[in-house]
Amino acid sequence: MAAAAEAKPFLELASPQPSVKYPLKVTYCGECGVPVEYCENYPNYEKCKLWLEKNMPKEFEKLKLDKASAEEEGGADGGKDKEEGEEKKKRQTRGGKAMIKAKKKIEPQGIKLWTQTRGKKKKVTIVVGLASYEIDLKEASKFFAGKFSCGSSIAGEDEIVIQGDVKDDLFDILPEKWKIIDEDDIDDCGEKK
Amino acid sequence: MFKKFDESENVGNVNIAKSSVQKGIRSQILDQFNHIDDYLDQILPKKEPLKIVKCHEHIELLCNQSGEILFFRQRDGPLFPTLKLLHKYPFILPHMQVDKGAIRFVLSGANIMCPGLTSPGAQMTKVDKDQIVAIMAEGKQHALAVGFTKLSTEEILSKNKGVGVDNIHFLNDGLWLMKPIK
Repeated sequence: MAAAAEAKPFLELASPQPSVKYPLKVTYCGECGVPVEYCENYPNYEKCKLWLEKNMPKEFEKLKLDKASAEEEGGADGGKDKEEGEEKKKRQTRGGKAMIKAKKKIEPQGIKLWTQTRGKKKKVTIVVGLASYEIDLKEASKFFAGKFSCGSSIAGEDEIVIQGDVKDDLFDILPEKWKIIDEDDIDDCGEKK
Repeated sequence: MFKKFDESENVGNVNIAKSSVQKGIRSQILDQFNHIDDYLDQILPKKEPLKIVKCHEHIELLCNQSGEILFFRQRDGPLFPTLKLLHKYPFILPHMQVDKGAIRFVLSGANIMCPGLTSPGAQMTKVDKDQIVAIMAEGKQHALAVGFTKLSTEEILSKNKGVGVDNIHFLNDGLWLMKPIK
């Protein structure tokens, strides 16, 4: 075994090719974030294909062509085809552990607003749910502080406390600043004790 | 190294490197990587400050001005390029090609075993022990992992058993998923 492998030539040490301009541009899949050629190794391959078809029809065509030619080859050589099928079966029984689990994406669950009384006559506004829209809380908190000229802090995993009662303003400002938020998604939950 | 790495948990503070530190890093990069001389100014413009992000387990990430992570290292160890950088400049590391069957295991973080490097679909560059290598795959263009050889190429061929290359950083691990550092 070792002798057979040794006969194989080593790869040349990689060097920049004069005809290619660096840095190379690698296209990454919008679904799983890896170079397009590796999509097939991830659980959401179907979604990746949809993405590819939509965003880069050229690449998608190429992929199809590759597959078609591979099948043709397989068809010409019947024995090989069978072998491949067997291999697939084997893999299925063996796999399992090496399969990468699909990650659940957190669906945006709407934004909730509360007010809370601090010391008899002052109020704070509590905003919950921004993180589920993939908004950076730190950035959002700074934005609020600047917009309302008040203190604003991150109070929990997905919670921002803004000093002062700014609930009404938030209804206008949130959809304006972040386009993914719809005004109907914002929920006024009244007062928190 | 980054299989269980999480941006919100394992990342500490961000510092801007002193010019003396930056100089040291530049010379280390020139030392370590092939053919990088002409491109170093593209990767790390001289005038721009370099950000150092300290993480748990003594890992440091080096970022450029726009927050893109370029290199990382553990303690005072060698600098590893991130896959995003490696994709742009694939020639900076020797390539090790694994066969098709190994791809999915590597992508879930497994170390590269010798048989995956010696089988007909695989190819190796001649390297010594303890070298940083790019893990490529049969029939694919781009690297899928950054590895650190545990055996020299000859040893891999003769032993043909067990771990040949440690998997340091692979596609879709914690480091790959990190957003640019602010």
